Amino acid sequence: MTTMERQIRSAAQQLLANGQVSCVIGYERSPRGNVRPAFVYQAGDVDRLVWDCDCNLDLVTYVHNFKTPPRRGVPVPKVAIVVRPCDARAINLLIYEQQIKRENVQVIGVTCTGTEVRGQQRLACSLCHERVPVVYDVLIESDVEPDLPVAQEEYADIGEMENWTPAQRLEYWTHEFDRCIRCYACRQACPGCYCFECVAEQVDPHWTSIALELPEKHFFHVMRAFHLAGRCVACDACEAACPMDIPLSKLNRKLAKEVEALFGYRTGDDPRTAPPLATFSPDERLRM
Amino acid sequence: MAEDTFEPKIVGFLCNWCSYAGADLAGTSRMRYPQNLRIIRVPCSGRVDPLFVLKAFQDGADGVMVLGCHPGDCHYQQGNYFAQRRYALMHRLLEFTGLEPDRLFVEWVSASEGKKFADVTTAFTDRIRSIGPSPLKRQPAAAPVLAAQEVTQ
Amino acid sequence: MMKVLTQSQLGGWLDGLARNLCLVAPTSSEGKLVYQKVDSSDGIAWGFQRTDMSPKAWLFPATEPIAIIAQGANTGIVDPPPPGRTVLFGVRPCDARGALAIDALFLGRNPTDGQYAAHREATNLVGLTCPQMWDTCFCTVVGGAPNGADGLDILLTQVDDLYAVQVVSEKGAALAADMRGDEQPVALPEPALTRGLPTLRSSEEWKGHFEDVFWQSVGDRCLGCRVCTFVCPACRCFDVRDEVVSRRPGLQAIERLRAWDACTISAYRRIAGGHNPRPTQLARLRNRFYCKFSYYPDDFGPLGCVGCGRCIDACPVGIDILEVITAVEQMSLQA
Repeated sequence: MTTMERQIRSAAQQLLANGQVSCVIGYERSPRGNVRPAFVYQAGDVDRLVWDCDCNLDLVTYVHNFKTPPRRGVPVPKVAIVVRPCDARAINLLIYEQQIKRENVQVIGVTCTGTEVRGQQRLACSLCHERVPVVYDVLIESDVEPDLPVAQEEYADIGEMENWTPAQRLEYWTHEFDRCIRCYACRQACPGCYCFECVAEQVDPHWTSIALELPEKHFFHVMRAFHLAGRCVACDACEAACPMDIPLSKLNRKLAKEVEALFGYRTGDDPRTAPPLATFSPDERLRM
Repeated sequence: MAEDTFEPKIVGFLCNWCSYAGADLAGTSRMRYPQNLRIIRVPCSGRVDPLFVLKAFQDGADGVMVLGCHPGDCHYQQGNYFAQRRYALMHRLLEFTGLEPDRLFVEWVSASEGKKFADVTTAFTDRIRSIGPSPLKRQPAAAPVLAAQEVTQ
Repeated sequence: MMKVLTQSQLGGWLDGLARNLCLVAPTSSEGKLVYQKVDSSDGIAWGFQRTDMSPKAWLFPATEPIAIIAQGANTGIVDPPPPGRTVLFGVRPCDARGALAIDALFLGRNPTDGQYAAHREATNLVGLTCPQMWDTCFCTVVGGAPNGADGLDILLTQVDDLYAVQVVSEKGAALAADMRGDEQPVALPEPALTRGLPTLRSSEEWKGHFEDVFWQSVGDRCLGCRVCTFVCPACRCFDVRDEVVSRRPGLQAIERLRAWDACTISAYRRIAGGHNPRPTQLARLRNRFYCKFSYYPDDFGPLGCVGCGRCIDACPVGIDILEVITAVEQMSLQA
């Protein structure tokens, strides 16, 4: 057990024992040795919680399961979540969008040094400049000075693709979307995707057919990326969840790059600032 | 359809108060502009969900125009400001996923700008005609297309 | 005595198949192994262990028109054109049993599903024995075996550099007729089996554990996506919708499309008016396991799971069907 794990377990134990939360959402190791989400309801159970570089799914998506009371007359449940800096931004986003109240979430923020998938550091992590979450109730600090990789230019790969011809980009995305099986794992793993009925499934209006074919897959991914414009926190849970290893984060990061350039905005800095598509400036003139 | 007789399908989302009125003015003034344009009248350019644009491309449009009121002149005060932000982002996203940037055209056309409407429509149609059919259009299905005559009761 | 092929003889036979009909085999796309049409045996991802997607899509397409309502002089409903002759090569014994499981639904009831029947009729399954059970495999738990021939037309077993050919069905005999190889005495190796796997309990016992607190622990984690269902060789639920905008430019028609769907998704059982008989993710995920191990065998005969383990690898949140089977075994032993 590392120092960070001890701190996380101790924080969870206190929150549960005091009755401040009914559930702590963190990470655990499965019997096979893989890290997966953990839901701890009892103070005596906190030893399940772990923290290491394999913890790479955004747990904030589960907050949508605790938004409404289980029965009428019962208050909304309070939960604690273990968050990395990227995840913490999602909390601010959801507070702004009135999905959760700040007082119903205890944020166990972790000083993150990057997470890995199959032994390789995730692209999102190698580009991340943030180590401390923007919001937390408890801060779990790393006891070791991290051996941080040299921070790369955040949008280098996006910039490179921007230099290709449209035909080259179309070929790239056609090749990538071909593997897509429209399983919606990306959507379900994303804390920003919580529509009761997704446009991809709506019958009326009829946006797109149920076919698992290229035009529908293209539509779904472009549409989802656009619906996350100015809302995506670059946690890359979508890419981590994708069973076909489609580089979904490129779509979201392209928009994040434009949002930052056009509006000087980064998602989730605080819970009171409106995302750029929820507001406007009367004097701006943008190339449309 | 042979390449040299390619006539593009252009879809235009025109806001009722400015650009649609501008198109009306072009018509009543007998200004000529290409017949390729299919106009969809919306109350405001802010009503034009960027998904309309994507769906238009998927369902057969070679080019899409979104025309609205000039900033400050929106009948609903703010709609076109939102449209400006949305299209600034949607255009860049569509470009990034392989659509030629010239296929989407967003512009402000007022009710008195009949000539501007005719001019931009003509220029846009000519441009789309020169760059050819849209790559996002559905391709014919692999299985042989059934002719109506093959249908049995 | 069995016919034995060298790698080159096998390649030659497959090349012939690729020329004359549609040959489908495991291919690699950005490291993901999927069954695709190949032009020759060179396109095959030889040495694969388990593919990421099962070959199910070639018998039960992910998207298929089940009726085309064409408009015009003679408006009416047409059946879509029948599939061409297809050979699926490199099918693992578990995937073949998956096809048998799906058969029980589409072919085992009256009326049969005409399109599925047409795909089955037009398709041959050429299997490849697994030399061992891999990390997440558990076919033996659900009545299968790494060298099982159920549901296959031909089963090939690799013995050193050679392939021993076992003709399983009449269709297989016809297909194998032009295989060039020598008859030799062959000792087929026994595949290495995983030890210590749980025992699957009966449908009746599963029913007794429906309200166990265990389901909360997996239900909490489930994201409600469709990955597990789509990679599964035995899952067969689908959505049907009339699509007004023609997928065939130039044809004025409405297509009644069916496409894969999954009971894990929140909208699956939601009915007009908004009521959802399985309103929580717990209920939906539990249903998935109960369908495989209780409802489906009760109603149709075979289990709804063949032990391929793809869902274990593919699930983004580590939901493990073998863990579920083990938990139910524990529940039964403690009862």
